[in-house]
Amino acid sequence: MSLNDRLRGVFVDALQLDDSVDVENLKYRDIEEWDSVGHMALVAAIEDEFDVQFETEQVIDMSSFKVAVDMLKGFGVAE
Amino acid sequence: MTLLHAQARLRDAATGELLGGAELAGRVSGVAKELADLPSGVLFLRVGLDLTSVLRYLGAFEAGRAVALLDPSQDREVLDGLVSRFRPAAVLGIEDEPAPGYSQDWVREDADGVAPHPDLAVMLPTSGSTGNPKFVRLSRSAILANADAIAEVLGIDSDEVAPTSLPLHYSYGMSVLNSHLRKGATVLLEGSGVVARPFWDAVTRYGVTSLAGVPYHYEMLRRLRFDPAKYPSLRTLTQAGGKLRTELVSEFNDKMRAVGGQMFVMYGQTEAAPRMATVPSERLAEKLGSAGPALPGGTFAIRDEDGNEIAEAGVAGEVVYRGPNVMMGYAESEAELALGDETGGVLVTGDLGYLDEDGFLYITGRLKRIGKVFGNRVNLDDLEQIVKGFGAAAAVPAGDKVVVFLDRADKDTCKQAAKVLSETLHMHVTGFDVRPAEGFPQLPSGKIDYRSLEAQV
Repeated sequence: MSLNDRLRGVFVDALQLDDSVDVENLKYRDIEEWDSVGHMALVAAIEDEFDVQFETEQVIDMSSFKVAVDMLKGFGVAE
Repeated sequence: MTLLHAQARLRDAATGELLGGAELAGRVSGVAKELADLPSGVLFLRVGLDLTSVLRYLGAFEAGRAVALLDPSQDREVLDGLVSRFRPAAVLGIEDEPAPGYSQDWVREDADGVAPHPDLAVMLPTSGSTGNPKFVRLSRSAILANADAIAEVLGIDSDEVAPTSLPLHYSYGMSVLNSHLRKGATVLLEGSGVVARPFWDAVTRYGVTSLAGVPYHYEMLRRLRFDPAKYPSLRTLTQAGGKLRTELVSEFNDKMRAVGGQMFVMYGQTEAAPRMATVPSERLAEKLGSAGPALPGGTFAIRDEDGNEIAEAGVAGEVVYRGPNVMMGYAESEAELALGDETGGVLVTGDLGYLDEDGFLYITGRLKRIGKVFGNRVNLDDLEQIVKGFGAAAAVPAGDKVVVFLDRADKDTCKQAAKVLSETLHMHVTGFDVRPAEGFPQLPSGKIDYRSLEAQV
């Protein structure tokens, strides 16, 4: 599975998103599910799925799906 | 008497705009004048973390118009229900199609309405009630008395800069705003929250001095490895909205002490406007687990099962609070807007606890079946009702979340049930941990043995 597909799955699971949500273009607070509470659940779920540990700065900078993809690439996760 | 001290300032983090002095007073009285012309009745204000919302709130207070503060993201269906029950004079902060009987700009077309009691200033929804929320009625004098008492125990002065880290329709968020404006401090209107970059940029740029949070904020701050050394202006943390794990209280207290700062642990309920107790920062380490002594002007008493007050220290019973900040009562419909004070300044909290020999309160549990979801009170029996379509349910509190056991459910059903709870109560889905169960443990009476369920979580 590609990085995008895996990450999309994590978003859908952690934030319990409906099929209608355009996950790849999501930004923090675009939708109710991705509020501060959702953010922490999301960060934890991404860390679990990809076996990575984000730094404080990364957690507060993870403002969109795309930013999260770039961060994971930075950890060497294969596309 | 007004909420607004002459030196009070509002800063909009989004634009950097700073509003204070005569200019702020002028804007508030401008809004007050507009609101005064509306028909008789309560005002509904969908209050966001923005300048327009706060000016409307202050304008209503200034105009002596009772205002109910509502969640701006509340479902239209719930709002319509409230509108038909309370017939507000107007709904502010909404752009949707108007409800029947309301003009295009959401002013009630029928000029006749119940005049709210002259003492009534603010109504807040009681958090977590199902589809049928009621309001807590707070008088002008209760709001002001509580703002002053909070400012006194926290030492708030005009040099303070407090961000809106909590929603304003939430009593704790409202009290941060009130207590700072009342002492001529600055309130920074910021909506992105403690997990986002703009918040921390604003903390540095605008010299934020304090931060208010409920337990889940402290869990987040811990996850973010919050380091006060990075934010030299930020020297006060306050915590309320449920019991924070004592390890975290110690951890944050130590962190703040190490940089010459302070941490306050507090206790309250919306019904008390909301603050009832605060642990003095310098005694926090020695009184870990306590909610603190009553605020100036208030007192606690502990009642036994027969309703008699227990004089001895250390004996647990129901916590009763008396003070000038206690609500007038509840309101479930328009007619109740006209009611005066029904409580006589006495609040029977429904919490169980005891006082130590220094008069410090320790909360040990709840009399009623109540849980907390991210600082918001929820009735556990209501939760069971909401998901009964999925099967028999048993809900128990679990820290900042609730666990709902669902009889003979599969994983998918549990997920759906969590979603329904989240949507109905308008709280984040991760606050509802729905788990499959094979029947429930029972007491000899045949009732569900909630204690033993609680022990499983």
